[in-house]
Amino acid sequence: MSDLAFLSITEASRRMRTGKLSPISYTEALLDRIQRLNERFHAFIRTTPDLAMAAARQAEREIGAGNWRGPLHGVPFALKDIIDWSGLPTTAHSKLLADNIAASDAVVSGRLKAAGAIMMGKLATHEFAIGGPSFDLPWPPAVNPWGGKHFPGGSSSGSGVALAAGLIPAALGTDTGGSVRNPASMCAIVGMKPTYGLVSRRGVFPLANSLDHVGPMTRNVRDNALLLQVLAGHDGDDPGSAEVPIPDYAAGLEEGVKGVRIGLVRHFYADDCHAHPEQIAALDQAAEVLRSLGAGVEEVRLAPLDEYATATRIIIRCEAFAIHRQWLATRPEDYGDLARQRILDGAVVSAADYIDALRLRARLTRQTLAAFADIDVALTASNMDPTCPIDDAEACARLYARQARQPFNITGQPALAMPAGFTQDGLPLSLQLIGQPFGEAMVYRVAAAYERATAWTERHPPGV
Amino acid sequence: MRKAELVEMAAAAGLPRLSDKHLDQLEKSADSARELAQKLPKDLHWSEELSLTFRLPRPTGEEPK
Repeated sequence: MSDLAFLSITEASRRMRTGKLSPISYTEALLDRIQRLNERFHAFIRTTPDLAMAAARQAEREIGAGNWRGPLHGVPFALKDIIDWSGLPTTAHSKLLADNIAASDAVVSGRLKAAGAIMMGKLATHEFAIGGPSFDLPWPPAVNPWGGKHFPGGSSSGSGVALAAGLIPAALGTDTGGSVRNPASMCAIVGMKPTYGLVSRRGVFPLANSLDHVGPMTRNVRDNALLLQVLAGHDGDDPGSAEVPIPDYAAGLEEGVKGVRIGLVRHFYADDCHAHPEQIAALDQAAEVLRSLGAGVEEVRLAPLDEYATATRIIIRCEAFAIHRQWLATRPEDYGDLARQRILDGAVVSAADYIDALRLRARLTRQTLAAFADIDVALTASNMDPTCPIDDAEACARLYARQARQPFNITGQPALAMPAGFTQDGLPLSLQLIGQPFGEAMVYRVAAAYERATAWTERHPPGV
Repeated sequence: MRKAELVEMAAAAGLPRLSDKHLDQLEKSADSARELAQKLPKDLHWSEELSLTFRLPRPTGEEPK
């Protein structure tokens, strides 16, 4: 079973296409594993075994008849539970939406269905993708398979945990202030926040529309590129959707980084925020690895991290409050404490401060893109610290404040988090790679070169 | 902050049903909002604001100038 548990999408797809792996057996094996391990990790808040087996039987018939749809055909996946799947509840992990049945598929769900992927269920999140790990909600928070009872990051926590625990090879998360990259960093998996507008958000419960992204989460870089390939594309009914050509994201993965210009944003983690010493060492070592592979790595300076954080926090507060104010007016007691606090934060921000935050956002975006004029990709921290015990609320809150993901929600650039080693205690360390707008292919190319050189993504949590 | 002030603040935000516990949370929100506002740069200008622009389809056959 362990062979199937941690099978990559790429390998599973190859085996299924050549008849060496049955989509039915693969799906059954993972459903069985979820059944055994979910009580420990709480990654899933709902499994869909009937849906999964029906899709697996269909995939087996189609692939057997030579009608292979592509690399996701027969591959199990799951959705963060703010993403609609027709006929299933979309709860946002909240009492408020416990009975909310989706009338239709989110665009991303429809794309996965069309690709022949196997829907396994809905994944835990922070309530409405905001707040933190909460114990006063209808479902418990997901627990990191790395370490003891540790925080897996969030808000796409179930997605990170399900991948790290070998329950599924692919998951979707969403990222407004870092919620794909945070669990990717803490669970030692790969998470991509694509360029704003590349992936449709229609059918996804919003947190802050101008900062929301849907992103692929996987256990390695190639799998991530394959998953994004299915998700990316214009949607005329998402006002933020971009109409751009979609390249082959996996085409350049073997090209290496010789001659690639990488900007190291060291001041984010060494000056603006003093990261944990082992995290600093891992990032500096990653820069050396890329240099040794032939990349040109030079330090670049962006605006201070705190400026991005100020703009992000004000915008999220205001946009989230605008979405939730009717419920806060009528059902405030139905929110968990953490989400209520975060959403109430937007009730008392002045309109002038919100406008100033938007002005600051525009300024920071201009400055950041100017700094990217001479580089292909930037390298910096995602998290500043390794994870902490999930029941230590203050430590979890501190982790949220100490990160470098928000700048790229502000600018909308693609940003990928991936493992960059482990602490002496065996907890994941991480890095973040940022590209030019719509430069996902280059980000994947650099990530793949680093992955081949280090093999961090081949490690799995002990005892799982 | 006195409870009456918090109730007034909640009412102004359209939140008439907040309990005492929720009002305590609102007070923390107000403190945090003040703190954040102080961190905004003081030289931001209206000319830096984002604008919505119309995107009309190019007339058929006409080359861009």
